[in-house]
Amino acid sequence: MNAVVVDNVSKKFRLPHEKKTTLFQNIVGLVKRQFDYEVFWALRDVSFEIETGETFGIIGRNGSGKTTLLKTLAKVLYPDAGSVRMNGKVACFLELGVGFQPELTAKDNVYLYSSILGMSRREVNQKYDEIFDFAELRKFESMKLKNFSSGMYLRLAFSTAIHAKPDTLLIDEVFAVGDEAFQKKCIDKINEFREQGKTIVFVSHALEDVKRLCQRSLLLDYGRIVSIGNTQKVVDDYLTMLKGE
Amino acid sequence: MWQYRELIKNLTIAELKNRYQNTTLGFFWSILSPLLLALVLYFVFRNLFRQEENFAINLLVGIMAWRFFVTGTTLSLMTIVGKPSLVTKVYVPRQILVLSTVLSNLIGSLLEFLILVPIIYVLLGSLPITILLFPVIHIIYFWLIFGVGLFLSALYVYFRDLNQIWDVLINILFFLSPIIYPLSIVPESLKTYYLLNPLTAVIIIYRDVMVNGSLPSLSNLAVIICLGAAIFLIGSFTFHMLQRRFAEAI
Repeated sequence: MNAVVVDNVSKKFRLPHEKKTTLFQNIVGLVKRQFDYEVFWALRDVSFEIETGETFGIIGRNGSGKTTLLKTLAKVLYPDAGSVRMNGKVACFLELGVGFQPELTAKDNVYLYSSILGMSRREVNQKYDEIFDFAELRKFESMKLKNFSSGMYLRLAFSTAIHAKPDTLLIDEVFAVGDEAFQKKCIDKINEFREQGKTIVFVSHALEDVKRLCQRSLLLDYGRIVSIGNTQKVVDDYLTMLKGE
Repeated sequence: MWQYRELIKNLTIAELKNRYQNTTLGFFWSILSPLLLALVLYFVFRNLFRQEENFAINLLVGIMAWRFFVTGTTLSLMTIVGKPSLVTKVYVPRQILVLSTVLSNLIGSLLEFLILVPIIYVLLGSLPITILLFPVIHIIYFWLIFGVGLFLSALYVYFRDLNQIWDVLINILFFLSPIIYPLSIVPESLKTYYLLNPLTAVIIIYRDVMVNGSLPSLSNLAVIICLGAAIFLIGSFTFHMLQRRFAEAI
C-alpha cells in the first residue's frame, strides 16, 4: 500500500499588487473595479506516490515549491486542483513546538503539544518519563516555558514530537537548528524511525543528508517535477541544473 | 471532531489558565467586573425604573447573559489570526480553535451564573424550580455564540478591521436588548421587530426561568432555537468555505 498518493496537484497563490486587508480597502477596491492580483502557480500538475516504509527526499532551489508541496501533504494548504491522499497517522514537523504557550509549564505544554500531534492522554502518560529523559529536562518539568532557553525549548519540542509515533513523518529542515550533539541525536532518531518501517518525507537543501537518508527523491523547479527516482540520479540532475545557469 | 477531543480539552484548559492565572485576583475579576457594572447601572437607573419588580436581579441576569455573548464573540473573532502557528504549521480542524475559545468562555460564564444563584436566593427569598431549565437554555445559547464566533473569526482573517466594526455593532446591540431597561418601554409598534433580536429572546428566557419562575414562552424559544440553528449553520458554512485559504491569508 502507498503511504502517500499525490495526483495532479496544482496550487496557486494570489499575489496582490497592493494587499487589501481591511473591509474599507476592499469596498474602495470594488468601487474602483480593481481586482489587481497576479496569479502565481507554486505547484503545477505534481503527481507521485510514496510507498510505505520509504524515506523520500524533496529537493530544489529556493522558491521551487518544496515547502508548498510539504504543506499540501500536511493539509495545511488546500490544493486548487488534484488530490492528496495520506494513509495512516501523519505528523508534520514544519516547525517544532507548534502551539507551545510561554505562560504554561513544560508539563502542560507537553500534554498540549502531544494532543496537537494526535496523541491521547493515556499515550502521553505512558511516554511522559521518556519524553523528559530524552530532552534531558527532568528537573524543569514544572517551570514555565517562557523561562526556557531556546535550546531547552527545542529539545522539549523535538522530544515530544518524536514520541508521537506517527506512521508518516513530514520533515522540513527543522534539524538545521541546535548544536552538533542535538543534530546527531535527531539524525539517529530518524534512522531509528526508518528501521521501524515508517514513511518519511524529507525536504532539505543538505544534499549529503538527502543522499544518506533517502532511497528515492524528486526535484522540483518552478513548481514542476523535473526529475524523480533514485536519489543519486536526482541529486546529479539537480547539480547539472545548477551548473547549467 | 471526536478524535480531537483531547486537543479540544487541552486548548480549553490552556486558555482558561492563560486568562486567569496571571491576575492577582484570578477568576474573581471575571465575577467582580460584571457585579460592579451592575452596581453602577443599578444606582444610575434605579430611580427611572423604580416601579419595576426585581429590577436589580433582572439587571444582573441581563448583564451575565450579555457578557457571555460579548466575550464569546470578541475573543473568538481573534482566534484564527491570534494562533497563526496552529493554522500555518500544523493541520488540525480549525473549527477546534474557535470551539475551545467559546468553551472556555462557557466555563467562565457558568461560574458567573453560579454566583447569581445565592444572590437570587437572598433577593427573592426562594429559588424558582424552573431554574433547572437553565442548562438547556445555556447550551442553545452556546451554539448561537459558537456560530457567530465561527463566522467572525473566518471573516477577520480577510478583513482586519472587522474587530472595530464588531465593537460598534456590539454597542448597538447592547441598547437594542432589554438589559438596562424593561421590555415594557419598547413601543408596541416596534415590538415585533424588537423581539426578533435573539439576545432579547435569550435574556427574557433567562429572566423567566431564573427570576419569574415561569416557563419560557414558545415564541421566544422558537426565536432562539431557529435563529441559533440558522446562525450556527451560516457560521459553519462560511468558516468551512473560507478556511481553505487561511494558511495563505494570515
